[in-house]
Amino acid sequence: MTLLEAEVGKTYEIKEIKTDDDEMNAFLFRLGCYSGEPITIVSKGKKSCVVVIKDGRYNLDQLLSEAVVI
Amino acid sequence: MNLATIIAVVVLAAVIFLAGRYIYREKKRGVKCVGCPYAGSCEKHAVHTKPAHSCGK
Amino acid sequence: MRIAFAGNPNSGKTTIYNAVTGRSEKVGNWGGVTVGRKEYPIKSEFTKGTEAIAVDLPGAYSMSPFTPEEGITSEYVRNEHPDVIINIVDATNLSRSLFFTTQLLELGIPLVVALNKADINAKEGTSIDVAALEQKLGCPVVSTTAIENKGLAEVVEKAVALNGTTQKAPYLQADIDLHDKNAVDKEDRKRYKYVNDIVSKIEKRKTKSAQVNKQDAADKILLNPVAGILIFAAVMWFVFWVSQAWLGPLVADWLVGYIETFQEWVATQLENSPPILSALLADGIVGGVGAVIGFLPLVMVMYFLIALLEDSGYMARVSAVMDPIFKRVGLSGKSVIPVVIGTGCGIPAIMSCRTIRDERERRATSMLATFIPCGAKIPVIALFSGAFFAGAGWVSTLSYFFGLLLIFLGALLIKAITGYKYRKSFFIMELPKFKVPSLKFAFKSMMERAKAYIIKAATIILICNTIVQVMQTFNWQFQVVEEGMEHTSILASIATPFAFLLIPLGFGVWQLAAAAITGFIAKENVVGTLAVVYGLTAFIDVDELALTGGANNVAMAMGLTSVTALAYLFFNLYTPPCFAAIGAMNSEMKSKGWLWGAIGLQLGTGYTVSFLIYQFGTLFTEGHFGQAFIPGLIAVLCMAAIVILVGRKTRAHFDEQYRLHQAAQAAKA
Repeated sequence: MTLLEAEVGKTYEIKEIKTDDDEMNAFLFRLGCYSGEPITIVSKGKKSCVVVIKDGRYNLDQLLSEAVVI
Repeated sequence: MNLATIIAVVVLAAVIFLAGRYIYREKKRGVKCVGCPYAGSCEKHAVHTKPAHSCGK
Repeated sequence: MRIAFAGNPNSGKTTIYNAVTGRSEKVGNWGGVTVGRKEYPIKSEFTKGTEAIAVDLPGAYSMSPFTPEEGITSEYVRNEHPDVIINIVDATNLSRSLFFTTQLLELGIPLVVALNKADINAKEGTSIDVAALEQKLGCPVVSTTAIENKGLAEVVEKAVALNGTTQKAPYLQADIDLHDKNAVDKEDRKRYKYVNDIVSKIEKRKTKSAQVNKQDAADKILLNPVAGILIFAAVMWFVFWVSQAWLGPLVADWLVGYIETFQEWVATQLENSPPILSALLADGIVGGVGAVIGFLPLVMVMYFLIALLEDSGYMARVSAVMDPIFKRVGLSGKSVIPVVIGTGCGIPAIMSCRTIRDERERRATSMLATFIPCGAKIPVIALFSGAFFAGAGWVSTLSYFFGLLLIFLGALLIKAITGYKYRKSFFIMELPKFKVPSLKFAFKSMMERAKAYIIKAATIILICNTIVQVMQTFNWQFQVVEEGMEHTSILASIATPFAFLLIPLGFGVWQLAAAAITGFIAKENVVGTLAVVYGLTAFIDVDELALTGGANNVAMAMGLTSVTALAYLFFNLYTPPCFAAIGAMNSEMKSKGWLWGAIGLQLGTGYTVSFLIYQFGTLFTEGHFGQAFIPGLIAVLCMAAIVILVGRKTRAHFDEQYRLHQAAQAAKA
């Protein structure tokens, strides 16, 4: 499932980054967001969510929220 | 010509000269916008930077 | 020797740089404040006599850059061979930061790690074994708290001591083909694993970073699409109200009193001197510059409040909450930051567009950012709201929110002209921890900008006012213009052709045209020039103006109605910014087509907005259209036609490119 379907407050393992945009993949990688890493959903709205990757909090828009498969 | 006029002429000349010199010196130093707090960081180093991943193309 | 400061965004590089050099470069609590390289000698008390230059660089997550500002960093450490690197590491996020650290260590340049934000770690009960980290990385590691000046002397001392040595890398990337995507990916994963191993051994956390805390609760409200935007609007309204309708004018009243007394004193001293001298000194210099300086308190209060906002960590939230709206018009959430910075000065606002990844979004933002009135436009706004609207606070608030509206409309227009590619641009924003903004820092930042404002008034504005005064006093035969023959002066004859173009906007007199033209050199000039050409200074005495009602002398002298005054104000606010800002736009856009497009768009917008306000305002208040409605309408329609033509051309060109691309693909297949 994607981040928008996930449960708030829970930690998941990233399965894959589903995108054909290499740049997005590489960008997320540098923040430590890649398959096999844990990700925690702190809160989510209809079209965006706040997650914890490594020790940083990030706001992701809809496109990214749907690209991260957990 | 009275004293006040002479003083005024001197002050006027001095003020304009100093202001002009300040602008001239700043321009010579390559500052684009005189008195701008960010003037030092303008353009000077930005010209030759191109991102390795050229965005938007 | 040169010491480069490198590290992740928002790790505190510029704060350390400011502390060791004594500079006051812009800092803020979000990633991407520094967008250019800065150099300055380190104070000798830190280096113990060795000459060392600190080089502050924009934040970067890794050596492979994504945005122009990140490119500056990797290019510098790779190609310009600094003698030592101080790697500033956000100690609250070791596992991400050390990735970049291990890359820097491979360069062979001696490196010192500054583990910054030690205070936050102490508060959260996170402990880091510094000695063990030092041993693992093979370089000195120092725990620092930049905002309290702790540990900085030790960092610099260690950096200076390492000059001339070579760094041994604890982790070396295997020799792989860097064009092979999979191999690079595999190597990067290995690097991250190496970092994770180190962190798990040396870091002990009491509070898990993923734990939901009070800040998350606040974020939930601030990031809510409805509440968040309302809060942002309320915060900005508060800033404008305090600076331009309450506290600012209160202080300004007092200041203007002194300036006026001084001007009168000068005029009395020169009673027996030639009138031209009195005009130059008392009216031109003291009056014109004084009129601009009089508004300094408004500008200072505003800078102070914006500095507090920038320091708190709120900007990142604003950016995130505005992203969906900005995306809809073809910009990005990151475009909010230039907008907020633009309330101070358009130049840093245009430069801060570098953090936007997409080129079209970046250019569009730098083209539109100056629709937000900058600090130099505050005197203009305050003058008109004081003279024609009895100091009403709504005028300034309207100016800002109308500017925001123009940004949205302009973005839609650019989207239509460039033929938006429907390329999906993504948005991610790190949400830094909130912190109580430092009053000391905000005060320092305010004083710094106030100094710049005064310097500008005493140099550029002063010279311009003197020139305007001279041009107004003499005619082309260099004879003093006689009373009643003002229209023969040099200034009048130059400004009259422009004034002719402004008739459909309701202010086609040469005085106002001259003020608008000098405004392109610096927007404060509008006020200075008006002061000179109308012989006025007491612009801000709001109380008195309110008492005398509509019959106040400023409004009388200019002979404008409220409608034309508003049209003139908006014309000055939304036409192209000063030349310096246009220069900044040029260097950021790197495209002549875009630059001229930007200038054209801004001219067209300013003209159209004033035209509509004047004509429909007059229709509304007096029951008929204003002067020269038809010629103005033709001008506006011509501009619209140009926009449509340019749009057609670009889109056709775009389609062509796309077709070529398809043809190439078909040929391949």
